[in-house]
Amino acid sequence: MRFAVKENLAQLFFSGAAVLSGAATLLILGFMILLSLPVLESGLLMNILTDPWSPGHGQFGILAMIVGTLYIAGLSLLIGFPISLGCSFFIQITSPHGPGKLLKKLVQFMTAIPTVIYGFVGVFLLVPVVRQVFSYGSGMSILTASLMLGILICPTMILFFSQSFARVPKNFLLAADALGGTPFQKLIYVIIPHAWPGLLTGLILGFGRAMGDTLIALMISGNSVMLPSSILDSARTLTAHIAMIIAADFDSIEFKTIFICGSVLYLLTSCGILAARILDRRQQG
Amino acid sequence: MTNKIKIQIRDLWFYYNTNLILEDIHLDIRKNCITCITGPSGQGKSTFLMTLNRLWENIDGAKSQGIINIDFENGFEEITVPGYPLPQLRQKVGMVFQTPNPLPMGIYKNVAFPLKLIGEKNRDSNFEKVKTALKKAFLWEEVKDRLTQDASLLSGGQQQRLCIARTLVLNPQILLLDEPTSSLDETSVEMIEQLLVILKQDCTIIMVSHYMDQIKRIADTTLVLSNRQLSKQ
Repeated sequence: MRFAVKENLAQLFFSGAAVLSGAATLLILGFMILLSLPVLESGLLMNILTDPWSPGHGQFGILAMIVGTLYIAGLSLLIGFPISLGCSFFIQITSPHGPGKLLKKLVQFMTAIPTVIYGFVGVFLLVPVVRQVFSYGSGMSILTASLMLGILICPTMILFFSQSFARVPKNFLLAADALGGTPFQKLIYVIIPHAWPGLLTGLILGFGRAMGDTLIALMISGNSVMLPSSILDSARTLTAHIAMIIAADFDSIEFKTIFICGSVLYLLTSCGILAARILDRRQQG
Repeated sequence: MTNKIKIQIRDLWFYYNTNLILEDIHLDIRKNCITCITGPSGQGKSTFLMTLNRLWENIDGAKSQGIINIDFENGFEEITVPGYPLPQLRQKVGMVFQTPNPLPMGIYKNVAFPLKLIGEKNRDSNFEKVKTALKKAFLWEEVKDRLTQDASLLSGGQQQRLCIARTLVLNPQILLLDEPTSSLDETSVEMIEQLLVILKQDCTIIMVSHYMDQIKRIADTTLVLSNRQLSKQ
């Protein structure tokens, strides 16, 4: 009887936590829409989504920021994914007891490093290198920010990938080894198909982290409000834009656009998650 | 049964960290014979099998010393030398484990998996090879109409024969079997024993088994592993 009461209480607690987190997500969306209402009602939404950003000329478009965000988040994922995949394979499969263990500790440590430190490394190390190598602009560019963000999102992805690799049954790995599979073949044909859901979760989190990061983009992407035409161009992300505009007059349209930026960020992240889920369903057949 | 030697083992020592498992093994294994290894549990019978395809190298803290020469029809090759290509070795020295370990894919894909590993892409030829391997493992008739079905849905005995077929698809010269019938029912055991007796015409078979009746039925040579030493019974 006592056990049953405890069971029911536990179930109630966990259900409550699940409902609360779901409700929080919806509440945030509702809050964003509510704050965006003045702009939506003024009929300026399309202008904001398509115009250039030029407050002096009464233009408050955030298209350049949307493109900049997608560029930087996409490229950082492209950079971070293969590095994370390789590191996870090394940690969990190639060398789980020796150097792999050490690497895992290092990666865990990396998750605790404040973003601003990555920003400093970007400003004082990466920016001059990119400037020197490409002899183009100031070195503060989409590429520089993506490289740094790529490294920043690696620990999150590595830890998720490693966990999902660890869940691949040892039997499968043994079968591949006994049949003469090389480590690479083992990764491609056995580990990735089996660890796919975990890889996807890691990718979603990595993408979310890259899209949501403010400081790196603010410090090293150059913050230009022009539509970028190459990865060596400077760009401004939505989060960096919000951080820069938040000090503006509360009643100005300029200020109100930050809520549109927030809503777009929410929408982009949701689209990313949705696309990943569809991909997952297709993969599972 | 021939008297031709397929495997020569000289001064083989094996350790797990500081624990000595195999001590100074000297042994010749004859070609096209079934050599059964028996002995008390935990003495290193599976470890001994793994020295023949170097699968032990994936185990943390394991260390081996000594020389193993195998005659792959071109004279003896020392497979214990560092740098010996492991994928090729394991394709010629196939291994089947105690617990069937089909991969999470269909029946056909499981058997064709080793062909994928060696880069065989011809669909027709692959289908013929898979069919031959399944026939050799007495499984073709049971699965020919459901080749795309998930292999994990097969019975234990069928899964084990599938794993044997998967190993046979590459025509290995040596087949290592680690208690392949220990988790199977009587009918499946009988089938696998029959299969092994036929297979020894093309293969040298080394099998670990705890069942003396089984060893009496199929073994050409019986070895006992006890106190780190292998001796003929």
